[in-house]
Amino acid sequence: MGTFSNLLESIKGTKGPFIEAISGLDLEVQEGEIFGILGPNGAGKTTLIKILCTLVLHDEGEAYVRGYDVKKEPGKVLNNLQAVLPGSRGFTWRLTGRQNLEFYSLLYGLEDNVAKKRIEYLLELTGLLDRADDDFQRYSTGMQRKLLLCRGLLRDTPIILFDEPTTGLDPSSAAEFRSLIKDRLVAEEGKTILMSTHNLSEAQGMCDRIAIMDRGKITACNTPDRIRYEMVDENQFNVAFHETPFTGKHEVMLNRLQEISGIQGVTPSIDPTDGLQELSFRIDKLMDLSVILEVLLNYDLNIKTMNTMEPTLEDAFIAITGERPAVPRRRVRR
Amino acid sequence: MIPIALKQIIAFTKRDYQRWSSYKTTVITQIINIFIGVFSWGVRASYVQRTVTEMYGSDYISFLIVGVAISNLILPLVQGVERRLNPWTLETILMTNLSTTVFVIGNVMWKYIFSIITFVPYLVIGILVFGAKLNVNLTATILAFIISAAILMGLAMVSSGLRIVTKSTDPITWAINILQNLFSGIAFPVVYLDTIFFPGVSTVSWFLPQTWVYHLCRLSMLTNPNLLDPGIMVQYLKGLVFALVLFPVGYKIFQWGVLRAKREGTLGHY
Repeated sequence: MGTFSNLLESIKGTKGPFIEAISGLDLEVQEGEIFGILGPNGAGKTTLIKILCTLVLHDEGEAYVRGYDVKKEPGKVLNNLQAVLPGSRGFTWRLTGRQNLEFYSLLYGLEDNVAKKRIEYLLELTGLLDRADDDFQRYSTGMQRKLLLCRGLLRDTPIILFDEPTTGLDPSSAAEFRSLIKDRLVAEEGKTILMSTHNLSEAQGMCDRIAIMDRGKITACNTPDRIRYEMVDENQFNVAFHETPFTGKHEVMLNRLQEISGIQGVTPSIDPTDGLQELSFRIDKLMDLSVILEVLLNYDLNIKTMNTMEPTLEDAFIAITGERPAVPRRRVRR
Repeated sequence: MIPIALKQIIAFTKRDYQRWSSYKTTVITQIINIFIGVFSWGVRASYVQRTVTEMYGSDYISFLIVGVAISNLILPLVQGVERRLNPWTLETILMTNLSTTVFVIGNVMWKYIFSIITFVPYLVIGILVFGAKLNVNLTATILAFIISAAILMGLAMVSSGLRIVTKSTDPITWAINILQNLFSGIAFPVVYLDTIFFPGVSTVSWFLPQTWVYHLCRLSMLTNPNLLDPGIMVQYLKGLVFALVLFPVGYKIFQWGVLRAKREGTLGHY
């Protein structure tokens, strides 16, 4: 049974400029998976997360969390799901981390002894135990994010939503936070994660499946690898040469290469002194590379290295949305 | 076994107390404000030296000291929730599935307790320094406080519900508060308005919820009323009607505000 299922027609404002954040979105998330929502700014990722945690009401369509309608049964939905939203929302800056958690544990209705144990466990889990009795205002951004996670986990719901979980964290804190989600929450505790992110390498490294949202619609939904392969038709093939003066015959060779079926483009890299250094081919994914090599060998070129670069999630993202993501990713060499 | 709703209200109160007490300077200045405030009003009242024959048959010092003390009870209650409506906090709190009533009562409780704490020195200084004479019926006072709390929390919910939508001061609470200054009789008996302006103008006062808060508290603290006296009973019943209307209306308006903001996707907006 799907953990979430959505079939949202639209969410729109009733006054001011017409806003249609989500339209015709059909999505299902399975238990125990990490599901990523990718998309450019304004794609509707945060709106989707807020619909699921009952903070935004959709006008039409249906959204369910473990069978509960988010519109009609918000209480039951919130018993199954918590969200970790960015920023230091709702914490009292002059209280300690532990005091803040104690406050929320009471709002969640936890019994005192259960709350105490849970808070202790979560502080240990997130590595905040040593700083639990420091004022929240003394916490670094990474620690604040961890306390947000502690709050999200207080109720021990099976589903956790993250909106841009590592935005604003330094690389090591971000890596630590990702590991916490993947290794502890999912692998050890079996939680289901739905996260929105701009960070494609994060999505590729963490998510079992991703959906790419653009202008309120899901334009692709699959595993990161399948999206990479299916959404981008081309590979890149690079051949580097030992010193080879670029002559007229190489011009002819380039023309010949351009005409080969399966080659979408050839870009030479020519140095004024060293001559032809590299040829970069955009080729069909299933192209037989020996056809290219055959031509190159006919022109007495000394090949130094060859490699094929597979499409990255960034390539897929650009192909789908036409926009470059906030955090670019290098191609993967093979 | 403490009911969970009560535990939640205590949690809010504890949080607000801890936050308040962490600002040492604020604590000191607020205590100074109480003393300066009561002396300032006491000196003014001593200068006037008039008997409030129109309504409560008390001297002006007693009338004014009680009025000012009550106004200190009122203001924090109305502002309590409104000032806590930081949209980020609201989103987080709503995700805990907390009931509206607990949210509102929880957010005003510390303010209310603090107001009651400050209420006492006002009265003590009024009596000891300025010779204010109270004529208190304890049961009537407790009843007046309960009715007042319901009226003021109703107002707080109206204000908060509208503020969630407007994101600024809401026009209804603004109007009520502005009219309160003139018509609720903080510093003079409301019937005096008929003398100053024209006969019948004080009728406006009795449509303002705050007037009933001042009136019932003054009745109970200045006139030692007999609750079984039909005339007194009618006064309390009228106040009670205000409470019984305003509290559920406030509750509905608060819920309407939250729902509308959810529909517009503006719950987290400033």
